[in-house]
Order: sequence, then structure tokens, then C-alpha cells
Amino acid sequence: MTRILAVARRRLLHSIPVVAIVVLGVFALLEAAPGDAVDAYLVIGGGDAEMIQRLRQEWGLDRSFLARLGAYLTALAHLDLGWSVAFARPVSAVLFERLPNTLMMMAAAICFSFSAGTLLGIAAGARPGSLRDRILSLVSLGLYAMPSFWLGLMLLVGFAVKLAWFPLGGIESVGMGKTGLARALDIARHLVLPVLSLGLIYLALYLRLMRTGMIEAWRSDYIRTARAKGLTPRRIAFRHAARNALLPVVTMLGLQAGALLSGSVVVESVFAIPGMGRLAFEAVTQRDVPLLLGVFLISTLMVILANLFVDLLYARLDPRVAAEG
Amino acid sequence: MKLGSSRRGFLAGSLGVGGAAAVSRFGWAQGAARQGGTLVVAADSEPRNLNPAIIASNGVFYVASKVIEPLAEQSYDGDGLAPRLATAWSGAADGKSVRFTLRQGVTWHDGKPFTSADVAFSALDVWRKLQNLGRVVFKDLEAVETPDASTAIFRFAKPTPAQLIQNALPSLTAVLPKHLYEGTDINANPANTRLVGTGPFRFVEHRPGQFYRLERNAAYWDAGKPHLDAIVYRVLPDPGAVAAAIEANEIQLAAFSAVPLADLARIGKVPGVVVVTKGYEGITYQLTVEINHRRKELADMRVRRAIAHAIDRKFVIDTIFLGYAKPAAGPVPAFDTRFYTPDVATPGFSTRDAERLLDEAGYRRGGDGMRFRLRLLPAPFFEQTRQFGDYLRQALRAVGIDAEVVRNDTPGHLKAVYTDHNFDLAVGSPVYRNDPAISTTILYQSGLPAGVPFANQYGYADAEVDALIAKAAATIDGAERARVYRDFQKRVGEQQPIIHVAEFSFISVARDRLRNVANNPRWTTSNWADTWLAS
Amino acid sequence: MRAVLRRFATGGGIAGTVLFALVVLAALLAAVIAPGDPMAMAGRPLIQPFSDWRFPLGTDRLGRDVLAELLHGARATLIVSGAAALVTLLVGITIGTLAGFIGGRLDDALMRLADAFQSVPTFILALAFVSIAGPSLASVVTAVSLGAWTAPARVLRAEILSLRRREFVDAYRVLGMPPLQIAFREVLPNALPPVITLAAVIVANAILVEAALSFLGLGNPNSVTWGAMIAEGRAVIRSAPYLSAIPGVAVVVTVLAVNLIGDAANEAIHARRVQVP
Repeated sequence: MTRILAVARRRLLHSIPVVAIVVLGVFALLEAAPGDAVDAYLVIGGGDAEMIQRLRQEWGLDRSFLARLGAYLTALAHLDLGWSVAFARPVSAVLFERLPNTLMMMAAAICFSFSAGTLLGIAAGARPGSLRDRILSLVSLGLYAMPSFWLGLMLLVGFAVKLAWFPLGGIESVGMGKTGLARALDIARHLVLPVLSLGLIYLALYLRLMRTGMIEAWRSDYIRTARAKGLTPRRIAFRHAARNALLPVVTMLGLQAGALLSGSVVVESVFAIPGMGRLAFEAVTQRDVPLLLGVFLISTLMVILANLFVDLLYARLDPRVAAEG
Repeated sequence: MKLGSSRRGFLAGSLGVGGAAAVSRFGWAQGAARQGGTLVVAADSEPRNLNPAIIASNGVFYVASKVIEPLAEQSYDGDGLAPRLATAWSGAADGKSVRFTLRQGVTWHDGKPFTSADVAFSALDVWRKLQNLGRVVFKDLEAVETPDASTAIFRFAKPTPAQLIQNALPSLTAVLPKHLYEGTDINANPANTRLVGTGPFRFVEHRPGQFYRLERNAAYWDAGKPHLDAIVYRVLPDPGAVAAAIEANEIQLAAFSAVPLADLARIGKVPGVVVVTKGYEGITYQLTVEINHRRKELADMRVRRAIAHAIDRKFVIDTIFLGYAKPAAGPVPAFDTRFYTPDVATPGFSTRDAERLLDEAGYRRGGDGMRFRLRLLPAPFFEQTRQFGDYLRQALRAVGIDAEVVRNDTPGHLKAVYTDHNFDLAVGSPVYRNDPAISTTILYQSGLPAGVPFANQYGYADAEVDALIAKAAATIDGAERARVYRDFQKRVGEQQPIIHVAEFSFISVARDRLRNVANNPRWTTSNWADTWLAS
Repeated sequence: MRAVLRRFATGGGIAGTVLFALVVLAALLAAVIAPGDPMAMAGRPLIQPFSDWRFPLGTDRLGRDVLAELLHGARATLIVSGAAALVTLLVGITIGTLAGFIGGRLDDALMRLADAFQSVPTFILALAFVSIAGPSLASVVTAVSLGAWTAPARVLRAEILSLRRREFVDAYRVLGMPPLQIAFREVLPNALPPVITLAAVIVANAILVEAALSFLGLGNPNSVTWGAMIAEGRAVIRSAPYLSAIPGVAVVVTVLAVNLIGDAANEAIHARRVQVP
């Protein structure tokens, strides 16, 4: 337990400078941007010089870079993410509206790609060079080369437009007044295609990693020992080879947390899902500094937590790490 | 009284599989409107502030016009206006006052009565002070007198043409409830996102990223209306999803060209779906080439006319707009016959004339076949402004002008063109709003400070144009004022400070169950009190 | 070297090389097969593929020749992803070498910087950067590199950390060679092989990121890109799905080729490194 706490503490201490760099970086990036939130706002109807000046004042955009940065950091220290000028609401309110959609999509994509990927990887790696292995490897190579947005579009054309099995987009049917289980099922139906387009590509990655791990495991001494003991191939594959092959896959899982959020931007755009990725895009085009910072901070937090989780999982899976601690 | 004209209008404007099929499709029995039903429509944006009295823009009106009403609405009939909260209006001969008679027996959605005090408050504290367009049109409004609850007299410090005020009624005069706004910070009032009005629908809910929901106002002043129980605006930013949703009958209307032009021919053949081109005349957009006159080549009228000669308007309309646009001659669209004049020397398509003018101006083709280089900034506002940017690059190369396309997002584009003047050519899409003085002459008038978007930031200054604009602003007589604007069109037609390429508006795609569609020139941004859904 | 080549020449390695050669050939011959401006609106809009010999792959919404766009798109893709990979490797190698060889505070600072870059979603960072800098070749290349430099930097740093304690480094120190010279001239070349095998991953990633940026309208507007073609086709995806499908296949083929080459190279080099000691 103390070891777990130590791991967590080290992670969190490391993350303080990381957060500082992210805040500074995003602030500086938007500072360098042509046009500010008022410019973005004016597109809907224009306005005269006096009105524009008044808006800049009201939104605090006439203050210096350092004054704005200072105000933001002070608020952040009080766990206040600030006010979104684009949405005219607190940033936290906007974020927590969108976060569940993205989290649902990401969690489903991770579960799908991790479980299916490792299982298929075991299947492929159990007998390297077999027909099954070749087919699976070929498919995973193809999937791994696909841009997720294109895969999403093609799935959309096939399964939503032509076959009409799934809805065309959105997170749930609007205005149907569904509740409880009916609503959950409705959301699940909406998530199938986005999760597939996000998950299939990572499935390919996990499959490849798992397969490589399995092949290496077959060559190792302890598997030979297990074979000599006369254990069935199936038992060896699952009990011994797979357990060791899983380690690099778990490492990758942690690394993918950030990448998955990246992938969700385009997939959310294809399937019109109001999530974090689309929010980030809107924050940039609206030049909404606090909102973009909010998106980056939340995703940084998610990545830090995912890595912490993987550290702990790793410790549990790998007896050597556990012994060291 | 509306039904006859609307039906005629609808047929005239509906494209589909040809006239015969269209007639049979609409040959329904003229029965009474069906009460009830929820209309689901597509929305592509969610404005941060929904208050139409502060932000006069179509994105806001689309939702807000059902809840908050203006004094009058545009109409295909009569003098072009239909009464809403005002029932009659007349301007004084000296141009210094306009008298409005207001509708009686109207209540706000919260039950309080609507009176002339609401109009006075909205005009003085909101339209004149805060509204993007009202700050121009009502700048000389000095006071609003309210002798009784149903009369409001607008007093102007300087003569202001009653014609202009009348033309501004549909877009600029959304009336707010004084009792909710008085004494508050109007820009930050919670009623800006949870609207309270007098309109046929009450604002019920906005779930960001998902939908707006409006419900029937049972106490609406026009007895028996509205017909619909509710309107749901489903947020669908992706055009493909919009087309699919209307085919699946998940939504009954996709307005503002939410269905891409390229998909219209196909979707028009889907049973139960109609393509409607009417109902947007009051919000005509113009595809323009904005020119930076600070650049010495472009300050030369011959070069500007050469660029205009290089543009094949027919190609632009047939290919980029797929026929859903008209060639434009100048700053006033042909639809507005009160002001429009065809008598303008607009350069026609001729690469030979273009090359001749460029040679005359002294810019001969160099070794690489190019005369000079330009930076071209297409506005990111519409798919067509971007595509026209690509076309213009190609058209300019054909006459020896090397244009490099620079693409920015919206704030980047506004900053580059209207604040930093960091462009040579830009593709723009200004809106003509029912009177040249509302948002059109400002594109030509000189002496405006930098940073004001959709205004003359082009470095163009012409004494004659400025004089004509000033003269029209002080001309009270409507016919005389129109004459001044015709002179204005002739002058800018010759000078080509801005090149007008096409006038376009939006296309609606609707289910044929939806009735009374497009029955006024601002239909999508009007109140939909008479809209109904057949079973 | 010959042994490495022989091991590289597996089924995957050959297939990858052939596919990649085809893409390169397409890029090189673009101007010959489809002369003129590929963005020119050349014919009737929306001609179906294989129906008009002048436009073998049909035309798009504005009558642009899809084949010409595809070929010129190969060129743009190779230029952008090649440049992005080069910049990524250069930045990664420089930072990795400095961090690994100098160590101490600089190492700490650089690694925290890498942490920061790895804990933000890199695509969102790239998207924000291009939106703000305006889409152009330089901004897209920078954006791709921003998200990718950490991997080679970390790999190289680890490699250098294990090499800097070797005897030959001490020997150069004793000889009085300046530390940076030792780092870049003597240690770096020995630490490079694992980074080189990363190159394929970086190129493949660059192609995918560039395509995604273009898909969102953030590609270089003065050249044709496959991502932008996919996005263009989206508006008419129901009546002309080929417009999105064709450039997508081109992306898949190119990325697949790069991945195959990378895998084969990795195995070939890996095998050698295992054998030598």
C-alpha cells in the first residue's frame, strides 16, 4: 500500500511542472493567434468601433498578457477554471457537459480494442505462421494503416447510410424523451460506429503487440519447461505466454490515453458527437483561452491518471516490479 | 389571406423533379391547418447570446424569432410589411419623428402585459445602444414618447428617412420585456439565453450541443395560432447528417442550406422531400471580391476592372452554386426593385479585355507569364466563399496574375482583413438587409476606424461616393432617396471598389408534411405562427 | 550489410518497398501524367469513375480531375510527411542527445518538457497550432513535429545514457575533446540505429496527422492533399462515395507501405544487433 502511495506521489509531483508548462504554452499560443475572442464573436453580425471596444473591456481582453495570465493562475489555484466567453458560461460547466460523451466513447473504445486485440493477438501468436495468424496479421496491418476519420466515414456510408442499421450521428436521439434503460440502449446504438472507428485501429495495435509478445514468449525457457511438463498448448498459451506478453500491451495502454483523445477529435467531427475533441476545436476557432486551457488541463489530468493506473497495474502483473518495491 | 399567396409562392420557388410532379405533390386539399405536432428542424450553430434585440443576425433569429417578435415582418404582399407588435406606423414630413400604433391585448410569456414602455425601453436602451445594426440606423434617435400604452413616437435629432426605419423593422426591432431588463446589465441578463417574449412559442430548454426546445404559447395574441405544439432545433453541425436525418424523417426542415447544394438534386427526388428556394429574399448574401486599395496595382481602376473581366460569373453560378444563385451587378440585389438599377457598367467576362486593361495599366506579363503576385484571402464563412477562392486563383492565373491562397479561420480572417489590412484580395459575403443604409453603404463609406468588420477597410475613398451616401441618409422622400441610391450604384459599378460576383441566399429542404413553408421573404427567421404539420 | 538486406527482403519488406515505390513514382510522374494545375476545374462535375476516358477516376464536385488530384496529392503527402519526419528526428535527436549526455538540470528540464508534450493530446495541439498559425506547408510540418519529437528524444536519451559510461567516451574525455563534440560526433552515431527504426513509425504518423488536419480544413490550401479530398467528398458522400473512398485508399496504401518497410527494417536490424555480440 505504501508503495502504491509512493508511486502516486512521485507521479503527482512530476505532474506539477507539466501542468505549468501546459498552461504557459496554451496561453502563449493563443496570445500569438491572429484575432481574439471578440473578432470571433463579431462574425455573426459585425459592430462599430465603440461596441467592439466595450466588448474587449467586458471580456478582459484589453488587459496585458501577464495580467490575464496572473488572473487565470490565481483562479486556477482556487480550482476555478474561469469563464468561457464563447459559451457565456463557466468553463467547468461546459467541460462537464461534454466530458461524459467523450469518456463513454473512449472507455468503450479502450475496452473493445484491448480485450478484442489481446484475444486475437493470443489467437494469432499461439501458432505463428498458421493461416489464422496470417489472416489476422494482414487484417491488422490494413486496419493499422487507416486514418480513423476515413474508417468512420466508410462505416457511416456502409452501416448508417446504405444499411441504416445505426444512426448517422449524435450521441442520442433528440426529443424522444427516453429515460433509463431505453436511453442507455439508445446511446449505446449511437456509440457503436464511433467506437468501432476509434477502436479498430487500436485493436490492430494491441493485436500486433500481443502477437509479438507471444512469439517471444514461445522462445523462452520457462515455456519450454512448461511444455516438457506436458501442459496442454492452450493452457500454456493463456496461463504462461499470454501473461508475459501482456506487459508491453499494458504499457501501450497508458501511452494511448492521450492518443485516444486526439483520435476522438476527428471521430467526433465525423459522427457529430458533442465531446471534448469538438469542444477543443470550437475553443480554438472562438479564441476562447480559458476554455481551451480547460480542455488541455482535463486531458492532461486524464493522461496522468491513466499512467498512474498503468503503473499500478504493471506492478500487479509483473512480479519483478512488485518484488523491487 | 396569406394562404393563397404563400401557396403560389411556394410552387414558384420549389425545385424538384419538374413542375408537373411538384404540382401533383402539392395538390393537397385546402383544408384547415392541423393543430399539434412537434416540428424538429436542424440547427448548425448555437449562438452564445440568443437575444435578437442585441444581436441582429440570422443564427440568432432562427431560434429567437419564434419567441421574441419585431414590430413588423417582411411580406410578399402589399407594401412589403406585415404588422406584428405594431399595427400601423407613419413618418412625419420633416423626417424627425415616426409614430407607431401598437397591438393591444398582448402579454409576455411571464404573464405581464406588453405596452409602449417596452418599445421605448428596447429602442433607447437596447437597439440604439447595444445592437450591432441598430447602432447605425437608430444613432439619431433622441427620445421615444409614450402618450398611452399603445402608442410610441420615435423622435430623431436629425432628419431620418422613415423609409429606412420602416425597412429596418423586421430585423432591427425585436422588443424586449422592460420589466426583466430594466436596471440590469443588459448584456449579461439571464434572459438573453432563456428568452422571454410575446411570440407564438415559449423558450423551454437549451441542451448545449444537442437541442433547443420551444413550446406553444397558448396565450398568443393571434387567436388559434400557433398550430404546432413544439419546435425542436436539433444541433447537427455535419451537412451529411442533416441530409440523412431529413430523409429518415427525423427532422422536417433543414434551413440555411444545411443540406449541401451538391446533394439537392438527389434529395429532391426522395419521396416526401421538397427543395425550397424561396423564403430568403429578405436576407440576400452577395459573393464579393474585396480589394485592398492600398496596394498600388489595385488602386488603379483599370486593374480592378480587369479582375472583374477575368471572372466568369456563369461558371461560378453553374459550378460553384450549382445554379442556386444569380449574377450580381452591384451592391443592391435585383430582388429589391425599389432601389435596384440594372443600368450599371459592370465588366462582363472577357479575358481579352482583362489582359488589354492590365497591359494598358502597365503590368505586362513577365518571364514566367505572370504580371504580379497577390495574396488572396477567401473568407471561411461558406463552402462557396472557399471554393470561389480556389476558382478566383485559377481565373486570375489565366490573365497573368499569380494569386496565392491564404486561408484563415474566422477570427484570423476578420483580423487580417478588417483590422490589419493584411491582404490584397479577399472573398467576402456581405448581407443586404432590405435597405442600402443598413449594412451596404458602410462597405463604401470612407473614414471608418480600423477593426470594424464588414465595413470599408479597403482603403477606398471616393468623394463622390461619400457625398451620395450622405445625401441619401438625409433624404426624407422615399422616391428621391431611391434615385440617389441608383446614382450610387452607377458610380461604384464604374469604379468597382468591390467586385460583386453573385447574389445568393439559402435553400431549405423540407418534408412535404410541413405546410406554409417560405410564405414570407424572411420565412426561416420569422415567427412560424401559421406553420403546421400535416399528419 | 548484405545480411541485413537479405533479412529485409521478406514478403512484407518487398511488398512494402514495391508499394512505396509506386507512390513515389506517382508523385514523380504527376506533372507528366496530369500536367497543369490539378486544382483546375477542368470538366463536368461529378463524372463517375471509369465512365469517361479523359477522367479515368472521375471528377469531383467542382469538376476537378480526381486522378490528377490523387497523383499531385501523393507528391504533397510525401513532401509534408518527409519534411515532418525529418524535422521530428532532428529535434528529437538534438534534445535527446543534450538531455542524455549533459544530464543534470538540463536533462530534468527537457524531460519535464517531454512529459508535458506527452500528456496533452498531440492532435489537439497540432490542430490549435495550425488554426492559429494559418495552414501552410511550414505550419503543418511544425504541427506534426510538435506532437512527435518526444519519442525519438526519449529513445535516444536512453541509448546515450547507456553509452556515455563506456570506455571510449572516457578516452575522448581524457584526450580533451569538448563534451558537445563527443556527444554529437562520437556517441550519437552509435546511438542512432534504434532511432532510425523509429523513422518509419514517424513517417506513417506524419501522413496520418497531415491527412486528419487537411480533413478538418487545415491543410495547405495551395496544394491538393488527400485529407482535403476526403473532406470535399463528404458533402456528397451519399451520391458519390468514391470521392472520399479513393483518396482514403491512397492514404491506407501509403501508410501500409511505410509500416511494412519499417517492420522489415526493424526485424533485419534487430536480428543483426542480437547476433553481433
